[in-house]
Amino acid sequence: MKKILLYVIITITAFFMLSPMLWMVSTSFSKDSIIASANIIPRDFTIENYIKAWNFPKVFDKSVTFGTFFLNSVIVTACLVVGGLFVDSLAGYVLARKDFPGRNVFFYAALATLMIPIYVTAIPMFLIVRGLGWINTYEALIIPFLSSGFGIYMFKQYFQTIPIELEEAAKIDGYSDFWIYARVIVPLAKPAFGTMAILKFMWSWNMFFWPLIVTTDIKMKVLQLGLTMFRGLNVTQWGLLTAGMTIATLPPVIIYIIFQRYFTGGLMAGSLKG
Amino acid sequence: MIVTNKKEKMGYYLFLLPAYLIFTVFIFWPVIHSSYLSFFKYNIITITSPDFVGLKNYKFLFNDEVFWTSIKNTVIFVISTVPVKMALGIMLAMLLNRKDLRFKTFYRTCFYIPVVISMVAISIVWMLLFNPGPNGVVNILLSKFGVKPLGWIADSNLSLLTVMLLVIWKDLGYIMVIYLSGLMRIPDEIYEAVALDPVSSWQKFWYITWPLLKPTTIFILITQIIESFQVFTPIYVITEGGPGYSSTTIVNYLYQKGFREYEMGIACAVAYLLFVVLLILTMLQNKISKAEEIRYD
Repeated sequence: MKKILLYVIITITAFFMLSPMLWMVSTSFSKDSIIASANIIPRDFTIENYIKAWNFPKVFDKSVTFGTFFLNSVIVTACLVVGGLFVDSLAGYVLARKDFPGRNVFFYAALATLMIPIYVTAIPMFLIVRGLGWINTYEALIIPFLSSGFGIYMFKQYFQTIPIELEEAAKIDGYSDFWIYARVIVPLAKPAFGTMAILKFMWSWNMFFWPLIVTTDIKMKVLQLGLTMFRGLNVTQWGLLTAGMTIATLPPVIIYIIFQRYFTGGLMAGSLKG
Repeated sequence: MIVTNKKEKMGYYLFLLPAYLIFTVFIFWPVIHSSYLSFFKYNIITITSPDFVGLKNYKFLFNDEVFWTSIKNTVIFVISTVPVKMALGIMLAMLLNRKDLRFKTFYRTCFYIPVVISMVAISIVWMLLFNPGPNGVVNILLSKFGVKPLGWIADSNLSLLTVMLLVIWKDLGYIMVIYLSGLMRIPDEIYEAVALDPVSSWQKFWYITWPLLKPTTIFILITQIIESFQVFTPIYVITEGGPGYSSTTIVNYLYQKGFREYEMGIACAVAYLLFVVLLILTMLQNKISKAEEIRYD
């Protein structure tokens, strides 16, 4: 009896937590109606909203649609994940394995970056990006965030758990440090790369403040910025609006569900050991 | 150890170069430049080079009513959302941590999904849910209990609350997961030791679990305060700080000054005041977590 009660409570809570999203998905499959509904089962099932949302907004520039924003986000996210993993793991490798003057200074500098929120540096960052002529470019969206203190820290910690004997053998055979990094360390550190890739994906896909200040051209807007253009629809076209939000929400949710073991594991290691 | 020559050691710095070049240009230099600019009048639209004005920007903030409103709203936001999130988070974690519960992964996934979705997307959905007037979804549900439609995002008394509800709902799963990992590190033997004694589950929680969770609680508390002080996106999307300035927070104010009015000097002064507060909190956390570690081991 007590056990049934537990399941009832926990199921109701889970339903309550998911209800905003269930409502969003349901409304996105319903025919547009001016009068809102609190249903979580679609009325007059249709996929029309998705087709319309994908071709929205076409207001200032006919060629710019939701697809443009989506593609921009894919490009920026892909560069930040691939480039970021490379830059962070390179630095993490020498910090984990090598001894050289200033090693600790470099390590603590990486940790110090974690204490500095973007809002504190945003204005000089904006001035630098403007000075470089990067406003409305992919460079502005990618380069400032290619390295992360958290990533360097995570890679350093993970590399230290790999036995050093393999590297020493390669060293005696005359291979360079970069060869050892690329051919010995990287293949052995797949779990660390997996976890960091997912964290970087989530972060890059959902980033908002920085793109907001460095992109003014509608062609360069990433998905999160493009979404704000849907706000004007909140009086009438709820189906179209929720379809757009569902598309934007889908990639992180799918990634999370597939890789959740890595995801929560990495999240906890980072937040609790730090 | 293998002997390394000088040339090889120089190579190490090449490994560090990309990461630290970016840090220097986009983090370390801006931190310094930000404090420097806070003493200048620098409107990037109207003037070409910064004018030194001493403490004038700070004086301006001190006398600006909107700035004080933004501080008040931020403090209300922090002290209302953080404890509620933590209380609900620990309750969920206790429920999910029961040994006899099945489908744990499924439930954890349900609670965690709000954490991973885009803040912008869910904020826009929130605008529909909390639409003022009789068509809003929440108002429809409330009307079934005889409650008259509320103004939510259009009501200056409720706008900040509407955003707070969103943030609590979205972050709950994250807090729960951190608490779950804290709970899993408490050894079973501790509970077995009292298994034969007549203690209630509440007593077990209060005298065993809660004290052992103290490091986790302090970690969550301080990181959440730091995070909440920087709330921006949901407010920007849902209310744009309004109606009036009823939901303007510190970062919204900074955005307004820096990127709407282009008053870079004033915005840097705001950034610096925020930074000092956050830095104190971070140092406090480092200090406490170090002390706790010693006690724990």
